[in-house]
Amino acid sequence: MSKPKIAIFDFACCEGCQLQFVNLEEELLDLIGVADVVEWREAMSEKSQEYDIAIIEGSITRLEDEERLKLIRSRAKVLIALGACATIGGVNKLKNNFNDLDEVKKCVYGKDSKKPHLATQPTKAVDEVVDVDFYVHGCPIDRKEFTYIVRCLLLGKTPEIPDYPVCVECKAKGNPCLWQYGQVCLGPIIRAGCGARCPSNGFRCFGCRGYTSNPNVDAAKEVIDKFGLTVDHLKTKMVLFGSRQEPTIYG
Amino acid sequence: MSVKKIAKDDFAVFVDALIAKTSVIGVQAKGDRFDFAPLESAKNLRLDYDVTLQPPKKYFLPPTEVLMTFEIGGAYRSAYEDEPFVLLGVHPYDMVAINQMDELFQQDNYDAHYMKRRNNATIIACDVVKPSENVFASSMGTAVVRGGYDVLLTDIGNAYVAESGTPKGEKLLAGMKGVTADDAALKSRESVWAKNKKGLNRHELKCDPAYLPRLLDKAYDHPVWEERARTCFACGSCNQVCPTCYCFNVQDDVNWDLQTGKRERAWDGCLLNGFTKVAGEHEFRNQRSDRFRHRLYRKAKYVPSKIGGQIACVGCGRCVAACLPDIANPVSVYNRLIDDQGIG
Ligand code: SF4
Ligand code: SF4
Ligand code: SF4
Ligand code: SF4
Ligand code: SF4
Repeated sequence: MSKPKIAIFDFACCEGCQLQFVNLEEELLDLIGVADVVEWREAMSEKSQEYDIAIIEGSITRLEDEERLKLIRSRAKVLIALGACATIGGVNKLKNNFNDLDEVKKCVYGKDSKKPHLATQPTKAVDEVVDVDFYVHGCPIDRKEFTYIVRCLLLGKTPEIPDYPVCVECKAKGNPCLWQYGQVCLGPIIRAGCGARCPSNGFRCFGCRGYTSNPNVDAAKEVIDKFGLTVDHLKTKMVLFGSRQEPTIYG
Repeated sequence: MSVKKIAKDDFAVFVDALIAKTSVIGVQAKGDRFDFAPLESAKNLRLDYDVTLQPPKKYFLPPTEVLMTFEIGGAYRSAYEDEPFVLLGVHPYDMVAINQMDELFQQDNYDAHYMKRRNNATIIACDVVKPSENVFASSMGTAVVRGGYDVLLTDIGNAYVAESGTPKGEKLLAGMKGVTADDAALKSRESVWAKNKKGLNRHELKCDPAYLPRLLDKAYDHPVWEERARTCFACGSCNQVCPTCYCFNVQDDVNWDLQTGKRERAWDGCLLNGFTKVAGEHEFRNQRSDRFRHRLYRKAKYVPSKIGGQIACVGCGRCVAACLPDIANPVSVYNRLIDDQGIG
């Protein structure tokens, strides 16, 4: 089998997930040993470029990005969404909470806000524009999970990505529950796979891996009540990574 | 088997000597809670604890472990952990849970990974000094244990009564400075037992636990499963903290050569979405209420049928504390069924 070609493209994001590639250190050499990593950005300029695996980082916030993404999809055999920006829209979706995007632009860019390269539209996750084959969740991604997924792909195996909540990993680590210490932790409705990174360090889960496929938000409302907090507490915690996603509580 | 009375200071000296010789896992403070962890000094040992965050199960069945390494299309090699260790401070209800697990892991397919660790363990159990907020061991008949441990310690105030339960424990006891327990010490121990048999009961089961399998015979379609599961997160916390939950999942991962790899097992939980997913994406307990019911049936009907009727809830109360929507408490579910269906 000839080495599969991997191409990496970034859209609206902080490139923090790509930074995790660099942090792979010696594993990066292993990766390059089994796959040809086509340099990102430049990849698009070679019109004949074909790649087996396209990795998409970032969310889609402009019309021309939608077109670019569709072109990438048409050339790739497999498409991977990398990081919260790509998998769920991530922090970038916060702006979708505002009805008037011109106001948002003015607030962010001031007098430059009318410049054409700053044209914007509501943020979309990658799968709101094209089909996604695999998701690497998290902000930033978990390096171990990423390399596991790549190895599964190379073997033609479907990777097993958890669809259970963060609490599972949190409890397996023997952590006391942060709810008992007054924190509104989103662990019970957020997808595990990070090893309960935040609660294990004393900080509530803020939901960067996105909701499980069947989150029980009604239960969350009752629990909030039981702990003497208001639904507003819960709402404010859900918007950072859950903006304009169905399970997030609004109104 | 002998019974000794040991001054608390002498016991500390014994523990420090033990630490110098072998790996000792003991109960220690973790923030304002307690947990089992490698013990560095007798000073850190807290035999006055109420309950540990996790049961000692993880020392026999770790949250994740490598079962074997393999080469695709080639040979495989089983992986075993094979280090002796001492587990210090196991409460009676947790000891009962270990005894049940020992039986289960030797049945059907003998689990060599579990049993290697188990046979390497020396267990020093201890009677409860301070009941936890949710313990109901008295209701389950697990407030006191007579068997399974190598040594059983009972705090009688000014000293410990230590009794050996195995030849391994007898040897250990021989190394402890102390005197043969006199009648007064044994009497004090009796009164600790009598107190705990009644007093570890923050939730009171309204029937003899032996009746539970029959109670459940008639309860399969009861509305309580739906009612409770309405607010279930399917978070598996009740499974993860339970000393008698032993379900696991097995997964392979390959190395970068895409040729060699390892097979790992990790804790699973019957409350989790996807727990019963099989080939073809078929999932036969895909409702939260089905899974919620399964756990309560497993504790008081399915597992008991494999281990001579012993109820596989030992009343540690951990699931009660761990369940955020407060629905997991086995006693409140079983009592609800008793209220509706009566006994007999
Ligand atoms: S997911 Fe987070 S780390 Fe990754 S690119 Fe987006 S903002 Fe940066
Ligand atoms: S701290 Fe958060 S993740 Fe951990 S058990 Fe509690 S709710 Fe779940
Ligand atoms: S604990 Fe929550 S916020 Fe933290 S890494 Fe995991 S999913 Fe993301
Ligand atoms: S079901 Fe709950 S109370 Fe019973 S043994 Fe398990 S964790 Fe303890
Ligand atoms: S019963 Fe409670 S602890 Fe168990 S899965 Fe449901 S919400 Fe989580």
